[in-house]
Amino acid sequence: MTDMLRPPIVDSSPLKRLFQGMFGTPLNAAISLVILGFLIWLVPGFLRWAIIDAVWTSNDPELCRAPDAGACWAVIKARGRLIFFGVYPIEEQWRAILASIVMILTVILSCVPWFWTARRIITTWLVGFTTYVLLMRGGFAGLDYVGTSSWGGLALTLFIFAAVTIAGMPLAILLVLARRSELPVVRSLAAFAIDLTRSFPLLTILFAAAVILPLALPEWLSGDKLFRVIAAFAFFFGCYQSEILRGGYQSIDKGQSEAAAALGLSYWQREFLVLLPQVFSRALPPTINQFVITFKETSIVSIIGFFDIIASTNAAIGRGDWVPYFVEAYIFAGMIFFVFVFALSKYGGYLERRPSVVGQQR
Amino acid sequence: MKRLVLSLAAACMAFAFGVPAAQAGQGDTLAMVKERGRVLCPGHNGSYLGFAEVDDAGNWKGLDIELCKALSTAIFGSPDKAEIVPLSWAQRFPALAANDIDAIIKVTAWTLGRDTEIGLQFSRPYLIGTTQLLVTKALGAETAADLDGGSICVGAGSATERQVTDYFKKLGVEVNLITYENTNEMVASYFAGRCDALSGWGPNIAIRRASAPNPDDHVFLPDVVALEAEAIAVRQGDDQWVDIMNWLLSALMTAEQFGITQANVDDAKANPASPEVERLLGVTPGVGDRLGLSNDWAYNVIKTVGNYGEIFDRTLGADSPYKMPRGANALWTDGGVMFPLAFD
Repeated sequence: MTDMLRPPIVDSSPLKRLFQGMFGTPLNAAISLVILGFLIWLVPGFLRWAIIDAVWTSNDPELCRAPDAGACWAVIKARGRLIFFGVYPIEEQWRAILASIVMILTVILSCVPWFWTARRIITTWLVGFTTYVLLMRGGFAGLDYVGTSSWGGLALTLFIFAAVTIAGMPLAILLVLARRSELPVVRSLAAFAIDLTRSFPLLTILFAAAVILPLALPEWLSGDKLFRVIAAFAFFFGCYQSEILRGGYQSIDKGQSEAAAALGLSYWQREFLVLLPQVFSRALPPTINQFVITFKETSIVSIIGFFDIIASTNAAIGRGDWVPYFVEAYIFAGMIFFVFVFALSKYGGYLERRPSVVGQQR
Repeated sequence: MKRLVLSLAAACMAFAFGVPAAQAGQGDTLAMVKERGRVLCPGHNGSYLGFAEVDDAGNWKGLDIELCKALSTAIFGSPDKAEIVPLSWAQRFPALAANDIDAIIKVTAWTLGRDTEIGLQFSRPYLIGTTQLLVTKALGAETAADLDGGSICVGAGSATERQVTDYFKKLGVEVNLITYENTNEMVASYFAGRCDALSGWGPNIAIRRASAPNPDDHVFLPDVVALEAEAIAVRQGDDQWVDIMNWLLSALMTAEQFGITQANVDDAKANPASPEVERLLGVTPGVGDRLGLSNDWAYNVIKTVGNYGEIFDRTLGADSPYKMPRGANALWTDGGVMFPLAFD
């Protein structure tokens, strides 16, 4: 690139540039003024409510009832453990804490490129999920048995999210391979399954898995409600994600596959060494999107009687004195969602900057 | 919406799988519960205040939960064998049919449709859900008739709206109904003084009062505008299990009528006041054998959770944050409609 082609260097301080951007034209100035006015009207009141007049630590809801009291963050102090761990027995809470850490670690490790070989990733998942389930369920080595009906809060939300996406992703790859298969029966079966699943709302599918399936299946096959729901959710995720991957496939030139075939690569080598790494690269933004949607969609399970983070937030404010402070509790739950979703987006940004998302770096 | 999901579920069951509604054979449920070592009752997906809520430590509390603990105590001698399964409203009937729970103790009204169409069998009612009116003390109203010319906050298109209209028509009293689509808005309006009285299902109103700026400024009018009977629902066909529900509830009410409480049950057992108390507390054996339970089951229940009045006061009544008046839920001897059956 030559100097001739560079844009003229604007010699101004950042402050000046900001002013230029905000008030450079009459329209921009008008928009800026409206927004500034709105902020001046909103922010001080919010800060007074949320911080200055807020009741922070008291365990006594009476203090929050004072007429000049702001936000009642005391509700989080008194009832926060419900939001994190639901109705998990308090004496056993250390197990829920440990299990949540294990689950977060499993997710983080799955995000680190070094773990992306079949053996490493499968080992990580097996160890992570087994540890989580053993810790939460107990019933061995002196740990009390705690049934899945007592699992809850963030601990449960994390588990559902991790299990759904980690089981759903390989499923998505299988489905997209099947849908692009040259065998007509496999192809149309996969297309039918995907289209059928996508034409039902998630809630209907989860409701059927939780409530109706055990009426149809024999007792020994129906398993725990939680695992039925995760399986159905993972299939739902797999169907959507496989269509995202199919979009990625369609963006790759047909010559890639043909060239790989000409070099004598087998079907699996073509798919896993040549095509899929590029597919993941291309399909990364919608894939991260799908993960974020799935994280938020886990709260649908509260409707079918799971004590996820939303249900346990409802429970946290659902006791006599704390009822009026639902806004604070929901803001807190919202912040938890924000932390996880924001981290996911940032991770997506990091992946996009990598030269190759999946394959070896050269 | 609740109805829709329910009928959808029922339709799926009928057409897709050909599975009949909730059914159980005679004695099956108790045998299953004993084999499992736990009795499964519904909780709520969140908190349903007063009936199934969660305390700071994450333990289930509330009237429905206490009844489940009473059931667990009657069967196993300990309240700890009650496992609370979080369920939404729509799930309770299919969950019962699928053996995910053993009994629906979830403020469920006994209605013809539920009794006949979805294979349920109901116990005797354990709570009378009354539609009531809440007013400010300052208003000075003693009964609903004093509200002549006043205004009443009511949910738009709700059953309450119809009930309140009918009730005041019957009284021959002119009132102005102010309707709201949103319950929070309605309650806020009442607290702001937009209407003279707040109408609704008694426990809900009591719960709303507890969150008022000054709960003591508000009182219930004694009028019962309308009522529904809340009962325990079980799978059809298991008469023994229904018997257990009925006699468990009766034992709680009998204890209250005879003044037997958690605190004095040991005295009452040592010096029984009547042959009926002797039978109830298992001094004279027989009360358990006929139900498939131990003969001291009623003693254990009263010792563990108290009598009906104690449970009510602890969860909804005077000793709870909601301070709901007993009203229709008092024993017949105290002007209510609750009555024990005879332990003969």
